[in-house]
Amino acid sequence: MRKILLLLILLGFQKSISQELFVVTDPASNIPTNSLAINTMQLLFKEKFEQGYNYHIMPEVTYGLNKSLMFRASAFVSNRNTSLVTEGGSIFAKYRFFSSDDLNSHFRLAAFGRYSFNNSDIHQDQIEIMGHNSGLETGIVATKLIKKIAISSSVSFEKAMDNSSKNPFPDSLGNNATNYTLSFGKLMYPKKYTSFKQTNINFMVEFVGQSINENGKSYLDVVPAIQFIINSQARIDLAYRQELVSSMLRTAPNGVYFNLYYTFFNITK
Amino acid sequence: MKKVSKYFTLLAFALISLSNANAQISKAEIRATGLTCSMCSNAINKQLKALPEVAHVETDLNTNTFTVTLNENTTISPSTFKQSVEKAGFFIGTLVITSKSSLVKNEKYIVVDAKTIDSEEVTFQVLDKGYVTDKEYKKLSKSLKKVETYRANKEDDFHIKILN
Repeated sequence: MRKILLLLILLGFQKSISQELFVVTDPASNIPTNSLAINTMQLLFKEKFEQGYNYHIMPEVTYGLNKSLMFRASAFVSNRNTSLVTEGGSIFAKYRFFSSDDLNSHFRLAAFGRYSFNNSDIHQDQIEIMGHNSGLETGIVATKLIKKIAISSSVSFEKAMDNSSKNPFPDSLGNNATNYTLSFGKLMYPKKYTSFKQTNINFMVEFVGQSINENGKSYLDVVPAIQFIINSQARIDLAYRQELVSSMLRTAPNGVYFNLYYTFFNITK
Repeated sequence: MKKVSKYFTLLAFALISLSNANAQISKAEIRATGLTCSMCSNAINKQLKALPEVAHVETDLNTNTFTVTLNENTTISPSTFKQSVEKAGFFIGTLVITSKSSLVKNEKYIVVDAKTIDSEEVTFQVLDKGYVTDKEYKKLSKSLKKVETYRANKEDDFHIKILN
């Protein structure tokens, strides 16, 4: 497994990477001022201890308030309890506080925070406030773009709370964690741009890890993804998440992501 | 009453001179920094097109150069281009403006290369912070260290290099 990981990292560096519109992490850049993006992220993850699949759908709305600050609201719908139920929602804000840009390159830093609520049952060690736990997350992200390659890394602190009074957070589990991510993206096509209508293809590899602070239980996943950018306005992301190493209880670690994304530029004059 | 009308006259003069100062820009060529993706370029493209003064925008996606043609008899300041690019999440690397030469005779425009302009039209590059790359700004700060207004970095002063 370690060899595969090393190989993937090497591949990532060698091929050098465009784009930073990652699937499971956010870059330090924000969406444009006064733009509204809507997307629906769908997840289909295989249950580890029972038959079947865990399906989640997350509709999201993102708004760029100014050049430095953006907001996002998400809703969490899943079939954990046999039928499709809305289990919670989330608000997210990201503030870009440093930029050093040059022709065809940039280095940027941003701070972000997220609050989520969720009323589903708590069933695993892993803390995931995107669709599983109520809680808070705060962190920083650094992104470097060099020509067609983007490299982005983040560190965050995540704290889980009770999933409503019906599903309190179990005392037996650690309720806070440190998350870390490392993402690579590369513009594969086109080699040379001719128009805004041209479809862009990006290839990405993301590494997503978590460590529960109280007991040191941790996991590391890899998420390869392919992304199509259509008409310089819409996005289709297809990704697969695979657990590489884990010492924690996770009920459905492996699965696919399918994300449809559309940007409305300048929504008000 | 006399005083009030005097102020009004002054204000009117100020407004007229201000609009005259900017009315003569016909074209701007902007090279943006910090991006390589067409969706990013499109964000700048849309910001520029949303400006009421802009007639049309041509984009070279490979160099991230935006050629902006302005409507006739409009008023626009170089700072509007800067704001638009920054709103999209990026920065200006170079800004080259084509205008009537009377524009640069306005005191807001400070010609740093002491060139005399004899043609009716002038093409110039804006050299102030935020209108050039960070690297270029560092170089310019050294070469223009005797220009006091350049160091002062006032928002509505534009230090320019004549290109024609």
